[in-house]
Amino acid sequence: MRGRLAAALANKLALFGGLITSLVALGVLAGPWLSPYSPTDADFLALLAPPSPAHPLGTDSFGRDVLTRILYGARVSFAVSVSGVLAAALIGTAAGLGAAWLGGLWSAIVMRVCDLLFSFPSFVLALFMMVVLGYGVANIAVAIALIYIPIFARLSRNMALLVRDEPYVQAAILIGQPTRSILMREILPNIAAPLFVQIALGVAFGIVIEAGLSFLGMGVQPPAPSLGAIMADGREYFSRAPWVLTLTGLAVSLALLGLNLLSDGIRDVMDPKLRAKL
Amino acid sequence: MTHHLVSRRLMMQLTGGAAGASILPFGGARAQAQTLRAGIAGFGVINTLDPMKASLIPEYYIMYGVFNALLKFNSKMEIVGDLAESYKTIDDKTLELKLRRGVKFQDGGDFTADDVKFSIERVADEKNASPNRSKVTPISEVKIIDPHTVRIMTKDPYGPLLNYLTNTRTGTQIVSRAAVTSMGQEAFARRPVGTGRYMVKDWKANEGVELTGFAGAFEGAPRFMSVNCPLIAEESSGMTAILGNQIDLTSTAPFADVPTLEKRTDIRVLKQAGLNTRYIALNNKRAPFDDVHFRRAVSMAFDRDVLVKAVLFGEGVASPSILPPAHWLDGALAANPAVKFDPAAARAEFAKSKYKAGQEGVMLVWGSNWWRRFGEIFVGQVNQVLGVKLTIQAMDFNAALARTRAGDYDAMVMGWLGLVDPDEYIGEMLGSKGFRNIHHYASEKMDGLLARARTEIDPKKRTAIYREAETLALEEMPVLPCFTSNVHNLIRSNLTGFEQFAYANFGDQFGNMKPG
Amino acid sequence: MGAFASGLTRTAQRFGGVVLIALLGAAAVFFALRAGQGDPALAALGDQATPEAVAAFRARWRLDDPLALQFGRWLAGAATGDFGASMVIASGEPIAQLIASRLPNTLFIGAYALALAISISLTAGVVAALRHGRFVDGAATSAAVLGISMPDFWLSYVLIYALALGLGLFPSYGFTAPSASFAGALYSGFLPALAIAAPMAAAFTRMLRTALLETLHRDHVRVARSLGHGERFVFVHHVFRNALIPYVTVIGLQVRYLLGGTVVVERIFGVNGLGSLMVDAAFARDYPLVQACALVFLVCVLIVNFAVDLVCAQLDPRRA
Repeated sequence: MRGRLAAALANKLALFGGLITSLVALGVLAGPWLSPYSPTDADFLALLAPPSPAHPLGTDSFGRDVLTRILYGARVSFAVSVSGVLAAALIGTAAGLGAAWLGGLWSAIVMRVCDLLFSFPSFVLALFMMVVLGYGVANIAVAIALIYIPIFARLSRNMALLVRDEPYVQAAILIGQPTRSILMREILPNIAAPLFVQIALGVAFGIVIEAGLSFLGMGVQPPAPSLGAIMADGREYFSRAPWVLTLTGLAVSLALLGLNLLSDGIRDVMDPKLRAKL
Repeated sequence: MTHHLVSRRLMMQLTGGAAGASILPFGGARAQAQTLRAGIAGFGVINTLDPMKASLIPEYYIMYGVFNALLKFNSKMEIVGDLAESYKTIDDKTLELKLRRGVKFQDGGDFTADDVKFSIERVADEKNASPNRSKVTPISEVKIIDPHTVRIMTKDPYGPLLNYLTNTRTGTQIVSRAAVTSMGQEAFARRPVGTGRYMVKDWKANEGVELTGFAGAFEGAPRFMSVNCPLIAEESSGMTAILGNQIDLTSTAPFADVPTLEKRTDIRVLKQAGLNTRYIALNNKRAPFDDVHFRRAVSMAFDRDVLVKAVLFGEGVASPSILPPAHWLDGALAANPAVKFDPAAARAEFAKSKYKAGQEGVMLVWGSNWWRRFGEIFVGQVNQVLGVKLTIQAMDFNAALARTRAGDYDAMVMGWLGLVDPDEYIGEMLGSKGFRNIHHYASEKMDGLLARARTEIDPKKRTAIYREAETLALEEMPVLPCFTSNVHNLIRSNLTGFEQFAYANFGDQFGNMKPG
Repeated sequence: MGAFASGLTRTAQRFGGVVLIALLGAAAVFFALRAGQGDPALAALGDQATPEAVAAFRARWRLDDPLALQFGRWLAGAATGDFGASMVIASGEPIAQLIASRLPNTLFIGAYALALAISISLTAGVVAALRHGRFVDGAATSAAVLGISMPDFWLSYVLIYALALGLGLFPSYGFTAPSASFAGALYSGFLPALAIAAPMAAAFTRMLRTALLETLHRDHVRVARSLGHGERFVFVHHVFRNALIPYVTVIGLQVRYLLGGTVVVERIFGVNGLGSLMVDAAFARDYPLVQACALVFLVCVLIVNFAVDLVCAQLDPRRA
């Protein structure tokens, strides 16, 4: 009885998370059509206007509509985070599967490189990359990718090693199915769920990284808005126009909430045996 | 403008007095806390405490209290004696200074004319590579007449000399020869020995400096015998620190918060028009800013008043010159169309240039958020008016500096704070050999004017020459002057005695501060 | 005896791995820094440095030697605990001394945050699992998800304005070093530690709850119950003990986020730790100082992960 309740609750949460994420995604995708304002054109007659019907979330130090900035900024933040995490998922999974399948030296090298990347505190790694590579969107994505590659590599390797011993995979090996096809058809589909969970979590954390870097002034290049850049600007005049930092912060939290609930949901409906391995 | 400056200060003194009186009943509660907590906001790093080597304003914030110079500014911004009791001009190339007697260095040594000679000569010594070397190179000799009299002789008449001997960002603060010699330069830079009212007790890199009062100071022992100066990297953290009563005094305040802070009773905001300049440095040797018409067009394509409003939140004034308004002894520079926002005139001027709409250029920005806003608003307006495609590239200051030194930049937001002589502004920024000239701007006419101004000792005549130079700069527009910002200090209302100067002073006032 | 010896070999191997990673990390940081933009001479000498002064600076720090030679020299020093001297931001000061004064603050905040995260998550996780599906569970789970959705710097500002400036409960800025006053450090470090701990606590709670729920339904727990052991005994000895393994593993995995989080939070709260030192060192291109900070961070993560492995092996002998 309790188990069922839990499953229902989990599904409800997943549903809720999915709903928030879809809403956020919709806002991000449809942002340009939702708002009559430009995200970058200044209006110096309306500097730091408090929230009003015309500007539901107020305006910033350029007189730009904060809601519009957030919609566009979320696009940038998501794009950076998603591209970084997807790159990490591709590279990491490929390396991890390779390590599981080839073993030996390849496995040793891949896992040592992962250990290395994994041993840098995440934000320290990101900050270091900004100083070395210079500020900018592409470099943030690179930093996020470097943070997440070891996670995907380890995860996919460990999962692949587990799945490899399953009868259907052993059967496929015995009948001489080519390695490529075994990896793509037998293994990958069976380890996809935890990878997706990790992607959702990764995107959430990527947004935090982007925001943190932009907050320190090392992130997205102006005038492009990003959630972190808007917050950094808002912090500077927080006591005069608290809505900029506060409401943007809440928007970030909302987006992360959706992603986290969604990944929780996926995790809960997954094979329980795999759960603990995450 | 000068009038404005003075009246502001007067007002500040009046309000300061009032607040001090109203807080009196609570003075006792504060008395047991004998440490003054003076936060340096917006900086995380100081590199040296040796005046010869110093280049960053936070270094000077501390050194102002550790050292004295020969001269200093009084409340009316007139030059008066500091370590010199009096000074007189012997002829137009010789300045004689009578030194104070009985002045002790913090290590107990006596201050004599020899220390003056040593302090100035080490700044001039090429081997020491002092950032302030150019200020003292015109000096041909520092001649000791007797232990308490020196003559400073220059090759030619030297207009800026008196300003360059004051306790400001000059590097000519007086150090103890004995201490430097016995400690060595590196150790001295960490535990300097001066004549000021505070000694450096401990300097923790990247954290802050602890000062101890010097009981034997000639200006008298300070009321607070212990001062903590934490380096607060985030300017907004400096504000939250003083609001939360974690510090008593800040070196700056976030522009945006000034109006809200002014309404508070637990904090006083000291402010006045500052001696500083904020401008856009242009690379005059590289497209597109190698074309004078383009530079002039751009200058008319953005609204300086909007910058003041949106970048400084009103805490400053638009400026048609890189020389701050406080230096205009002759009154305001006549309104000039070259720095007036006028889209039609800008487009007409643009048509005369060799560049067309769609021209690209990269503007470097660095530093805290208001510097970025500065660049962003400028670029946005210019692009809109001229139809060009300037873009912004943000980076850290070190990277930006490396780019300008390599000549690899188009434009960059830039500024200088706390310089006291026009020679430091126009001379060093626009002179072809000036060390602040990162613009590759070289004009014989300008160099001629600057040389004349440097050798002119009559202040009136000197001012007139700089006015000519300013006018020439408006014509050739080697950089785009934008605005001058106010200087601010936040101080908890239970403290008095801090007198603010336009050049952004700090440590020199610790000794005057007292509770109540 | 044999098991002990093999355990020792394993430990030695792991230790060798740790040293190898530290070496690779040091090399990566060293070469990446020098390949990047910027110049320490400009940071040290100011924007008006003459070419001669720059040359003298480069000669003094031997920046013109071949990179491999510079690296070898640095490594040889680092191996003996001599990280050289800071080039820029603490010019001439031995780096070992700087780190010795800074690291305790970061470790204190880190450990404080970890302790907060662990105590919050142990309470919330256990309560949520025992009251599975009820209101308390929902509340704890939602709080956990909310916690993980607040970036640390954003939470920092919320805490400063709400608890420090609003209610006046905590200092709004500054940190008392634990060596000066331990109680002062606990008090002044609370907000920064909490800002870092909140997302961690959330992650730990979720993991503990899941792991507890899973073990609650396992066979050996049912058997133990059927043998007539009390609920409390079964929970402590069978459920909790087993759930601890994934819990401790997650703590190990989160340490790198935790230490990374110190960087921004230290700056906002004015904690003079390793993170804020490294930021300014990186801005100033103070090569040896950045290298040393990065290496220390790296070693911290490695040590924690090493310890986590040992604890896990202790908890579950099969995994040793």
